[in-house]
Amino acid sequence: MTWTSRKAAAIAALVALGAALAGCSGSGSSDGGTTITVWHGYTDVEAKAITAAADEWNSQHPDEQVRLVFDGGNDSALQKTVAGFTAGNYPDVAYEYGSSAAQLARQPKLVDLTKDVQDADFKWDDFYPSERDAATVDGKVIGVPALVDDLSLVYNKALFKKAGVPLPTADWTWDDFRSAAAKLTDSSSKVYGWAYVNDGSEDTVWRYLPLLWQAGGELLNADNTAPAFDSPAGLTALKLLQDMSVTDKSVYLDNGNGNYLNLFNSGKIAMLWTGPWDLSSINSNIDYGITLLPGYNGNHETISGPDLYVAFEHSSGRAKTAVDFMKWLTSPEEHLKFAIATGDLPVRKSESKLPGYSTFLEKYPANKVFVQNLSNVKHVRPNIPTYNEVSTAIGQMVQSVLIGKAEPQQALDTAKDAVTAALAGQ
Amino acid sequence: VTAALLPATAHRHAKASKRRADEVAAWGMVTPAALLIGLFGLVPVVWSLVLSFQHSDLQTPATWAGTSNYRQLVHDPVFKEAIRNTVVYTVLFVPITLVLSLLVAGALNRRIHGISFYRLAVFVPVVTSTVATGVIFTWLLDPDYGIVNGLLGKVGLPQLGFFASPDLALFTVVAMTVWGWLGFGALIFLAGLQGIPEELTEAAQIDGCTRGKAFWVIQVPLLRPVSGFLLVWLTINALQLFDEVYVTTKGGPLHATTVLVYYLYQQAFIYFHAGYAAAIAVLLFLAIIVITLVQMRLSRDSDLEDVR
Repeated sequence: MTWTSRKAAAIAALVALGAALAGCSGSGSSDGGTTITVWHGYTDVEAKAITAAADEWNSQHPDEQVRLVFDGGNDSALQKTVAGFTAGNYPDVAYEYGSSAAQLARQPKLVDLTKDVQDADFKWDDFYPSERDAATVDGKVIGVPALVDDLSLVYNKALFKKAGVPLPTADWTWDDFRSAAAKLTDSSSKVYGWAYVNDGSEDTVWRYLPLLWQAGGELLNADNTAPAFDSPAGLTALKLLQDMSVTDKSVYLDNGNGNYLNLFNSGKIAMLWTGPWDLSSINSNIDYGITLLPGYNGNHETISGPDLYVAFEHSSGRAKTAVDFMKWLTSPEEHLKFAIATGDLPVRKSESKLPGYSTFLEKYPANKVFVQNLSNVKHVRPNIPTYNEVSTAIGQMVQSVLIGKAEPQQALDTAKDAVTAALAGQ
Repeated sequence: VTAALLPATAHRHAKASKRRADEVAAWGMVTPAALLIGLFGLVPVVWSLVLSFQHSDLQTPATWAGTSNYRQLVHDPVFKEAIRNTVVYTVLFVPITLVLSLLVAGALNRRIHGISFYRLAVFVPVVTSTVATGVIFTWLLDPDYGIVNGLLGKVGLPQLGFFASPDLALFTVVAMTVWGWLGFGALIFLAGLQGIPEELTEAAQIDGCTRGKAFWVIQVPLLRPVSGFLLVWLTINALQLFDEVYVTTKGGPLHATTVLVYYLYQQAFIYFHAGYAAAIAVLLFLAIIVITLVQMRLSRDSDLEDVR
């Protein structure tokens, strides 16, 4: 999930949105063939790659044409799609964040893919488990995984050398991480050990969740009806953030505008918890390394934010084209081409067995760790319609601790009440 | 007699048909605007009112909620905080912008070399995109790397958190929006000032009044209709603050800048509680109507006093 990195591009693109969406509903074309509309928020290399894929599909399927429409950015894809339903002008296929799955599952026009993915040639089990979980709401498959990523530790080697701190390893503990961050921090030259996105959004939350899970905690109870993070594990995780941000002052608090990446490029931040989408924005003169997140009692679990292609019903012929297109686009061969063009991780396990995979690793050597780290994804965020409210409460909790406005236990209690209320309003 | 009357009747006829033609022309010109305002203004207002009595996630069919959205609002701590933030913001933003705009307009209302450059400079923030402004301000005011804290540090003043501090974020938004609106206020005041005959100030100056005093006792009182318009306009905009918050703080940190319209947006388009959000919208709408009526009444009363 590319929460911050592409925000600037997305904001710029919003300007063009009105024009782009005007008069862009898909329709059956006059020659008897079908045209479907695909909304996406891809920019840069990804936009080029999806255009190339659509061109390839269109040349192979003269009667089932695909028309791409840029929707202004993935950050607000859900809002655009919902507005589209209200206006009666919605896409056949849309790129959506995995965290929108439960909201979209309520949509009467949604194409239920539960049966389609059972087809042997869909090879549903070839997708990573975290992707399949993200695409499933109450047993109903609502989309096809479009992107997978995870958080890993990216570090600036030069800053480690300068501070005389040994480079991070895959066996690092929280204590190793904390003490390294403290040593790397230099208040006179304004160098920070770590950066944390502190806008209280899901961007804040999804960096806290691996800490919670590593310490043995859970966000909600098993049937998602009550908070479960108000546990010793939840407290331990918050205490680490407090120790680093308030006590050691070794954390740069990013306001959500993605400044952390510019600062990493300027040699002001030594370590980031980030995903593959940021790598292309790291300047070539920065010698960086990448490894697993630091662990707690040997648990180095991370988080993944799979995104989805979701289909919506117009007429039955179009729904079939939509499903066929999504299936083709996410087939191992086709997606590997996309991955090679963009640096996005493979969404299917079998992509790594294709001959082209070595090209991918050669072109994006750092992505090897992100791919390996996918096996450290053990939890998926709850697919419930009130997730955004839960997320806000957790975001506020983390933020209040990071800026020193609340003690961890106090923040935990406040968030517990807020989450309980949000779940009750379901 | 008939002969004498004829021209008059013809004249009256001509007058009547001209009035009718004028009316037709007037309606013809007003209708497109009236239709557009009705379609994009009144219909959504009425629809919001209906929506506020429903539970709606904008996707599945809405269900009737009676007054439960409104009753829930009474017990919503974030809603109360949003009201408080909106009031604090408005109470600070409106008077500061009014006074500063007036001073700037006074300073710009003179014939000196290059005055159009200064006028342009003051007006540029108004036409600059809010998004660009927001991004630049977050950089300038970055607690660690921002130029502003750098300068404060150089002169030995304490470093501030600005947008990152729950205690300062709202005031930072006030400062940023005052900067953004100053040019608009100054432009309106300047137009008003230029409509005031120069003879008045000249006469006063001949009678021994200083230029500065003439500004306060002659020009400023004559600007009352303009100030009244700006007061209403700025207040409505302040109560509807959204863009600046959306691009800088997203309502944070810790709800410090969650104003009513931002909270409404969050409820409608992040949580998909459209009925609840509509209830907030309706209450805000009523508040704006009441405040505007009071402001208009006050400025009209003071106009009357002037006449007396």
